[in-house]
Amino acid sequence: MKIFLNKSLIAWYFILPVLLIHLFVIAIPSISSLALSLTDFRGMGKLNYIGFENFIELFDDRYFIKAVYHNIIWTIAFLTIPVFVALVCAYLLTGIKRGQLFFRLAFFFPYMLASVVNCQIWKYLFSPIYGIGTVLSGFGLDLFTTSPFTTKEYSLFAVAFVDGWHFWGFLVVIYLTGMYQVDSSLYEAADIEGASKYQKFRYITLPMIRPVLVFTIMIITIWSIPVFDYVFILTKGGPAYSSEVIGTYMYSQAFERFNVGYSSAIGTMMFFYVLIIVGLFGVLRRLGWEV
Amino acid sequence: MKKIIDSIFVLSFIFTSSAVFAKTQISWWMEARAERDPIVMEKLVNAYNSSQDEIELVIEFTAQEVLGEKLRTALISGGGPDIVRAAGPSFIKEYQMAGMLENLDSYADQYGWNDKIVPWAYNSGVFDGSLYALPLTYESMIMLYNKTLFAENGWVVPTTLEELEDVASKAKAMDMNVYSYGSTGWQPTHEHLVGIYLNNYAGPENVYKALIGEKKWTDPVFVEAIELLRKHMVDEGYWSGSLENYYAIDWDQFHDAFSARDAAMMTIGTWTFQRTEMNFSSIDDDWGWAPLPSLSSNSPDQNFMLAIGTSIGLNPNSKNKDAAASMLNWLFSNKDVVINLSNSLEFAEFNLPLYYEDSDFPTDVNPKIKDFLSTFGKVTGEGNYGYCTWAFWPADPGVHIWKDMEVVWAGDISVADYMADHQKLWDKARDKGTTLSIPNR
Repeated sequence: MKIFLNKSLIAWYFILPVLLIHLFVIAIPSISSLALSLTDFRGMGKLNYIGFENFIELFDDRYFIKAVYHNIIWTIAFLTIPVFVALVCAYLLTGIKRGQLFFRLAFFFPYMLASVVNCQIWKYLFSPIYGIGTVLSGFGLDLFTTSPFTTKEYSLFAVAFVDGWHFWGFLVVIYLTGMYQVDSSLYEAADIEGASKYQKFRYITLPMIRPVLVFTIMIITIWSIPVFDYVFILTKGGPAYSSEVIGTYMYSQAFERFNVGYSSAIGTMMFFYVLIIVGLFGVLRRLGWEV
Repeated sequence: MKKIIDSIFVLSFIFTSSAVFAKTQISWWMEARAERDPIVMEKLVNAYNSSQDEIELVIEFTAQEVLGEKLRTALISGGGPDIVRAAGPSFIKEYQMAGMLENLDSYADQYGWNDKIVPWAYNSGVFDGSLYALPLTYESMIMLYNKTLFAENGWVVPTTLEELEDVASKAKAMDMNVYSYGSTGWQPTHEHLVGIYLNNYAGPENVYKALIGEKKWTDPVFVEAIELLRKHMVDEGYWSGSLENYYAIDWDQFHDAFSARDAAMMTIGTWTFQRTEMNFSSIDDDWGWAPLPSLSSNSPDQNFMLAIGTSIGLNPNSKNKDAAASMLNWLFSNKDVVINLSNSLEFAEFNLPLYYEDSDFPTDVNPKIKDFLSTFGKVTGEGNYGYCTWAFWPADPGVHIWKDMEVVWAGDISVADYMADHQKLWDKARDKGTTLSIPNR
């Protein structure tokens, strides 16, 4: 009995319920999915082992390759624009003494809205019947007469814009919190030395919030892999696969075409991709980076 | 002590009698639609439950987007409702192949369903020589037009490609779209258009040959059909003015645009009757319907595509299969109940493919819809019918036909390549045995 009351085990007892839930919700389905990727399972009924056929087909699937390419674009877009805008905005907000709360709330507000609500607002904004295009055309301006969500050249960027618009407020709050942790005496010293606002940002703020910055880069990179909701609601991956990402393609294979085995192979590829990213950050940590 | 014994006696009597006299409950999961559900409850559930004392029908309404997945998960885990519903034969075929549908042959013999249901619709639920599903709603693609607008301008309802292109140019000259239609909210809308051009340009005879494997989808006649669709969609902007607008407009918007004279016509399925009637009831304009124009000499003058929008079968795990079959037989045997229910929905749903006489229809049936029903029966009875993609295409080619149509419209691949990809998926489906039964010609 004593062995079960050992102090070193108490922490495990508290973790155990969560571990069990993870086992049933994450681990078992993930392992099942890995196994299904080697079959021709159609979502129900019998399944046959087909080896690596799904993976071979996947590398020959032009739409899967296109979806991977779109995910890479998506990741780059999210690692640059929202991060840059949020950093600048957070830094500027630190200089505002009155009304800062209003701005923080305003920037963060889209993040609190459900994705369906955000998407519906933007869809209506660009509707060719009720949207801003029709309002502007009333003033003789020929702008936004067609929705960017339905134009193959812009659809991916339009969806990324809406998702980024909802997401960047979250980054502002994180960066702002990081910036408030910076010792104010550093800025006072910089002021005495006559440093400009940019120099203070470049040589004090940025290095001091590096752990926060790297953390956000890591989560953005990981979150960009299973991106689904905004793409699915706004374009369903279309038109003509122009905004298809791995998540929506996997959904289409599983639930529209009943190719569950094939879809599991896509999921397996996503899993390995995330593993590589996490592994990469692990290596950086071992190299002494503050990750 | 006596009181205790009396209490036990009374309680056991209540318990046993309630068990003996309790109704057998049968369940049916149906997609939810706010304006329709009360009608279904009143004219189907209440009508059935009050018609007898042994069986109680319980319908659970679930959001359309999740119903299929919910049902599939329940069936895999050995549960689910007694009555299994699916969006047409290609979905039913997947359930049948997975052993998730009861063989209905014995019930069909017992109740004589073969004699009650029109053959093409009955056969849509026959796989490997056995009946697995009954057709709950038949539908077809038609063309709606603004009757008042056509009369004012002296336009003729198009029946040929030349007449269509003539009306199209006249509508455009009036700064009006040719057709009102859009795919937002339902991406497979594209297959409605693909089906029209395959059947009304290549012709039902050729489509039939391709469906049974006697002709390749790469045949020039199909390539020409899709090329014409591409031209009308991309180059001419027939639907809502442009490809981009067609992608951006949803069900409510294109209906409103049609009744607001933003477009002269609308290509749509017969499920629109209720909505169109509602929109036009509050304005001065009137609407009419017509068969889709024949786009080449391959297609007969009048031709309706056949489709089953909803099929129903029985869950093999059900403990109440006999009761559920008896309920289905009640539905398929009571034309007055079916017409009453369907009429309340403007024949958009519960349009059971039974043998109807003119006298079966009450006087309050909308004359336009009555005209459609009798014309449809007459024309298809003469063998002039085509094939809707969602009813006769297996799952994989069935998705390809609409999903990759966008790639053609985008100009990323040629029509010939698109049809070659389509043929490959058909070859695969034939190898796997996932093809469906095709109504003979």
